[in-house]
Amino acid sequence: MPMLKSKLRFAMLVCVLGLLPGAPGAAEQARSQFGNIAIPDPAKPLSADKCVEPVEIMRRDHMEFLLHQRDETVIDGERGSKYSLVGCMNCHNPAGADGKVVRYEDPQHFCAECHAYASVRIDCFECHADRGLLQSQQGRLDMHAPAWKASAAVPPTSTLQRRLGTVDGD
Amino acid sequence: MATNPGKLLQSSRRDFLKGTAAVATILIAPGIFLYKTGQAAAGLEREARWGMLIDTNALSEADVDACVSACQREHGWQTAEGSRTDAQWVRKLRLEEPETGHQKFLPMMCQHCESPPCVDVCPTGASFKRADGIVLVDRHTCIGCRYCMMACPYKARSFIHENLKDQLPVAPRGKGTVESCTMCVHRVDRDGADAVPACAEAVNRNDSKAILFGNLNDPQSEISRRLRELGGTRLRADMGLNPGVRYQGL
Repeated sequence: MPMLKSKLRFAMLVCVLGLLPGAPGAAEQARSQFGNIAIPDPAKPLSADKCVEPVEIMRRDHMEFLLHQRDETVIDGERGSKYSLVGCMNCHNPAGADGKVVRYEDPQHFCAECHAYASVRIDCFECHADRGLLQSQQGRLDMHAPAWKASAAVPPTSTLQRRLGTVDGD
Repeated sequence: MATNPGKLLQSSRRDFLKGTAAVATILIAPGIFLYKTGQAAAGLEREARWGMLIDTNALSEADVDACVSACQREHGWQTAEGSRTDAQWVRKLRLEEPETGHQKFLPMMCQHCESPPCVDVCPTGASFKRADGIVLVDRHTCIGCRYCMMACPYKARSFIHENLKDQLPVAPRGKGTVESCTMCVHRVDRDGADAVPACAEAVNRNDSKAILFGNLNDPQSEISRRLRELGGTRLRADMGLNPGVRYQGL
């Protein structure tokens, strides 16, 4: 596990160096250093302006946040944590209006993209849902909706498809 | 509902705690906190002991079937017809008096004992009792040894033998772990004393409360009042486990 973590840290560091906006040179460098393997560029969140922490911190420490809050949730019943996995999935892999979503096995899944690149296998999704709440569940099970995105509307499916490159767009 | 001052007080206290936790967090640089109060304090009501009172006189066979299917819908589990190994968070029990043929049906699930044998035998601490009395399996630490299934006198737990797909966000469950009734803990964490577990929701119609959820530690709660007035049976009370689930009409 520590080895995996350090591997992941390294990979995330590469991501940070390579994918900082406005640093295309660094991205090119990282690409050539590792041959032809494309550096992942996971789809950005659809329904919120920003993540719960700055991107650099999330890339490095998201696993720590999740590990910490999972015990708070299971043992202490804290469901409103901003580091909730359902919260991540609501934003990063929301269910479309028709209920269709990208699954973890799919290389385009938000988590899978980097994890496949870094060769780090996670087993979160053997138990946890790899998608956000369905729209039909949003009202009924709103305890997972963080306050900072309570008012954000779920984007239409077309936005999701554009982000995933299944239809043409910007 | 608005006439209950205790409830109003409680909810404002929860909100206050949550608000304080947010304000008390001091950020000195992104990701580095000088002082941080855990938001966890607001999650669970430590002074409570949640329980359920099941009035078997008010439950028909169809009602108990409705309990089971409501639980399946809420948590996303199924039991194949005749299977002895599939998931079974709650099951229908039929009691028949041989002499008269009189039948009774009751839902049987985790009894959320005060002294749970499943917790005693768990080698990893995965089977545990929350501060508010709900007995759960922490699937992050469960190794699937199934000692708790053997220890449980109510046969309330089941084991997941196969890979699953399409689990629900509120009910993570996966191969190699043990599971059982959670008293709809996600609803309890959201609604506190006003929570209505899925099985209760399925059978309570027009103010009748065949399954009543509430705080056994609060003498003013409806469940305590009804237990005081009408009594309730602990299943296998001789074992001294003091279950949080009580039955009437047995």
